[in-house]
Amino acid sequence: MSADNDNVQTFARRTILLGIGGGAVFCGLAARMYHLQVRQAEDYRTLSENNRFNFRTVVPPRGRILDRNGVQLAGNRQDFRVVLIPERIDDLDATLLRISKHVPISPETDARIRKDISRNRKFTPVLIADHLSWEAFSAINLDLPDLPGVLPLSGETRDYPKDGTFSHIVGYVGTPSRRDIEKDKDSLLRQPTFQIGKTGVEQSADARLRGSAGRLKVEVNALGRVVREWPEAEDRARSGENVYLTLDSDLQAYAAEQFEDDSGGAALMDVQTGELRALLSMPLYDANKFVSGISQADLDKLYKDPKKPEYNKVLGGTYPPASTFKMVVAMAGLEAGVINPAEQIRCTGHTELGNRRFHCWKRRGHGPIDLHNSIKQSCDIYFYEVAQRIGMEKINDMGARMGLGQVHPLGIAGQSRGILPDNAWKQRRLGESWRTGDTFNASIGQGFVLATPLQLCVMAARIANGQKAVQPHLVIGDAVPDFEMMDINVGHLDLIRDAMYAVCEVPGGTAYRPGGMGIPKAQMAGKTGTGQVRGISAAERASGVIKNRDLPWKYRDHSLFVGYAPYQAPRFAASCIVEHGESGAGRAATIVRAMLGRALQSDGFDEAAAKNLLADL
Amino acid sequence: MIKDKLYQLDWFVPALVTVIGVVGVTMIFSSTGGVWTAGAQQHLIRLMLGFFLMVGIALIDIRVWMGAAYPAYLGALALLIGVEFFGVSVNGSQRWLDLGVTRIQPSEIMKLAVVMALARFYHDLPDRGVSGPFGIAGALLIIAMPVVLVMRQPDLGTSILIIAPGLILLFLSGVRWRIIGTGAVAAAIALPLFFTFGLKPYQRERVLTFLDPERDPTGASYHIIQSKIALGSGGVNGKGFMKGTQAQLDYVPENSTDFIFTVIGEEFGMTGGLALVVLYAILLSLCLYRAVQCKAVFSRLLIMGISATFALYIFINLAMVMGMAPVVGVPLPLVSYGGTVMLAVMAGFGLVLSAHLHRDQELPRGTGSLL
Repeated sequence: MSADNDNVQTFARRTILLGIGGGAVFCGLAARMYHLQVRQAEDYRTLSENNRFNFRTVVPPRGRILDRNGVQLAGNRQDFRVVLIPERIDDLDATLLRISKHVPISPETDARIRKDISRNRKFTPVLIADHLSWEAFSAINLDLPDLPGVLPLSGETRDYPKDGTFSHIVGYVGTPSRRDIEKDKDSLLRQPTFQIGKTGVEQSADARLRGSAGRLKVEVNALGRVVREWPEAEDRARSGENVYLTLDSDLQAYAAEQFEDDSGGAALMDVQTGELRALLSMPLYDANKFVSGISQADLDKLYKDPKKPEYNKVLGGTYPPASTFKMVVAMAGLEAGVINPAEQIRCTGHTELGNRRFHCWKRRGHGPIDLHNSIKQSCDIYFYEVAQRIGMEKINDMGARMGLGQVHPLGIAGQSRGILPDNAWKQRRLGESWRTGDTFNASIGQGFVLATPLQLCVMAARIANGQKAVQPHLVIGDAVPDFEMMDINVGHLDLIRDAMYAVCEVPGGTAYRPGGMGIPKAQMAGKTGTGQVRGISAAERASGVIKNRDLPWKYRDHSLFVGYAPYQAPRFAASCIVEHGESGAGRAATIVRAMLGRALQSDGFDEAAAKNLLADL
Repeated sequence: MIKDKLYQLDWFVPALVTVIGVVGVTMIFSSTGGVWTAGAQQHLIRLMLGFFLMVGIALIDIRVWMGAAYPAYLGALALLIGVEFFGVSVNGSQRWLDLGVTRIQPSEIMKLAVVMALARFYHDLPDRGVSGPFGIAGALLIIAMPVVLVMRQPDLGTSILIIAPGLILLFLSGVRWRIIGTGAVAAAIALPLFFTFGLKPYQRERVLTFLDPERDPTGASYHIIQSKIALGSGGVNGKGFMKGTQAQLDYVPENSTDFIFTVIGEEFGMTGGLALVVLYAILLSLCLYRAVQCKAVFSRLLIMGISATFALYIFINLAMVMGMAPVVGVPLPLVSYGGTVMLAVMAGFGLVLSAHLHRDQELPRGTGSLL
């Protein structure tokens, strides 16, 4: 019994011991509770708030791009889409089949939808199709009772309404590339449907057009599902600014019409301010296709077109300026004092340099010819002679002062420099030294000289302006620097301008057309150019140069023209290159004449104004 | 007769158990987003069924339960072996046995059965044999057999809940301190070996994650971090019923089962958490007192074993939720959603009540044997 008692006592003792131990553990747990819930409570409260709240980016509407008169060149259009919410779909196959009655779903789209579903949370909307027509969209809306989990949505997408007339200049938007996202830390770029400017003004003015993101405070659960939206946005989204261009959409469309099916480029600018009124590259392409993701077939078609619609010819295309370069050579000669305007040079149709023979476009020659007539009739022999007297350096110097061989930055990617070639350039490029023959070719704008339509327009504007080195600009509101003075003898310029007037307005001029610009009594000045794109062999010359019409399209001459109007009080200068458009007197002169006429008309210039100018003369 | 027993029943225990159970119903209601049928209702039904089971068991003579000790143990062992062959896997662990009408977790029954068997074993063992080789070996065998089976499932939490109360019963039976000391040293040597060779990789990962939570912030320790955020952000007074953002927005996984304490801590703060702990402490103190009042070794050890198991549930669960112990999957008894645990706990308290109700009953010693 004593053993039993011992045992009872042991049990009681040890039970108490255990009780104390248990109490200690409870105290330890309570201490831990105190530590977490009192001492560290503040930290954990912050963490809990971080868990709970999220900020959702609010995408601002993109600014529009408008022409000088407020006509929309790029805007935002209602876009209809259908999405599905995977967790609410009972039978995906049946749902897709039913939707495909309204919108075609290709096997690729089908695969993409399934991949998106498997990669995202079950409540994340997955796009079925976008850019739906209103008909398809409303048909799906009517069918909704039988399509649980399918959500028709309308949003905004970029829209270019002008049939591609501005595609090369305005550009287009697209989904940001990985590099864009790395470079630009704006949170907007990571929004699923956000697009940034990829080319043209869309790209150069992207910062202004984009606006800034707003932030919306939302309560999210552990899976990221938004439970509630906080009513007041933390930061309101700021809409993108509208960007006004100096361009005139009416004039641009008119110019595009003049080109018909031809390719090339044309520019028209204000000779005082440098505002570009038209900047056109032909043929056109539809920028809208790039916004919605262009199909491979469309892209192939675009790239295989020999007329290269996607290529920005007016800013990036370089062409031999041909005879339009003759003004530069003439001014350089006058400034150097090596020619006398009254001096006559005899044109026999060709001239010799060593054992090489250089031809005039007129096979039988112009006979004795002075400066005025050599421009009016575009004699080549005269300019070979001038070039030989002054050398390439002085020609290039004048070319640069006229705006050639340099980029006139408009902010648009893909502008070309053109080429004013010299010995250093030839050494670098071909590893050969400059020869006098090269100067001969350059003097008539052939050989190595290259210029863009924009540069030629600048050249015409500077000749027309006479004093200031006008620079082109495109966006209204952009800071325009004061133009430098060109420091060219006005007497010399008057000689050139007078000759350019004769080209257009005096019988015998290469571009003379009675009735001119379509405004009675209005007069213009200009210069034709016919850019040879193939070599003509001596044998061919002997047997008669093949007529352009008998050549394949891509071997025909480029047609060029530069000009300005009104002759007496220059207002606008324009340039045009029609690729393989044959002689400059034809296609290009017609287009420039039409553009100048239209620009003047829209500026309020009429017959009465033209008569006043004539009276002043 | 039954009326007398009902009158004599220690009603404090069922009352406390019910209060704690109702806390469970309330918190499950909150953690399931206020949907009554998503768990709270079920928990209340189980609580009521458990209540009747508890009282029913309490009224049955303690001699019946003493006689049932070994058969219950052997039966539970058979069920565990059944799990080995016919068990249903849930989350990679094979713990369930499908009986057609319902699924049960034999390991929960085993926790009670081990306590009963050990109590019976010591009851029959002469006092001086407690520290003898037969006493030690017999007790360890009773503990080891189910543990081996449970570890194969694998279930670290249940293994601990079988081993620890078993060892406590060894301690209470009066095993000499010298032997306890030797055992402790042996365990200290064996534990690292067990950690390396005895645990499944995911169990080892949990222990390592507990030791260094930065190891894997989104995986295993995500649970602990979110749990601590819930508790800590609750502060002293909590965010209010149904207003805990961690709970309502599902940041803490399993918060109607093992992690239900985070809902209490977040919505009722430290005040609520401590209140629940105090309720548990009162219940356990009461049980300790009842144990000492009993004459028979079986009754005393039965009450102590069941109380120890109950206390360990609480300790391990709270330590786990507060980031003091690895995530082992031990529920908070009576509060966490879960049927088998609820019934096992209720049955356990039924046995406690029965032992106390029949405390003056003479129980013959030395008549039973393990075989």
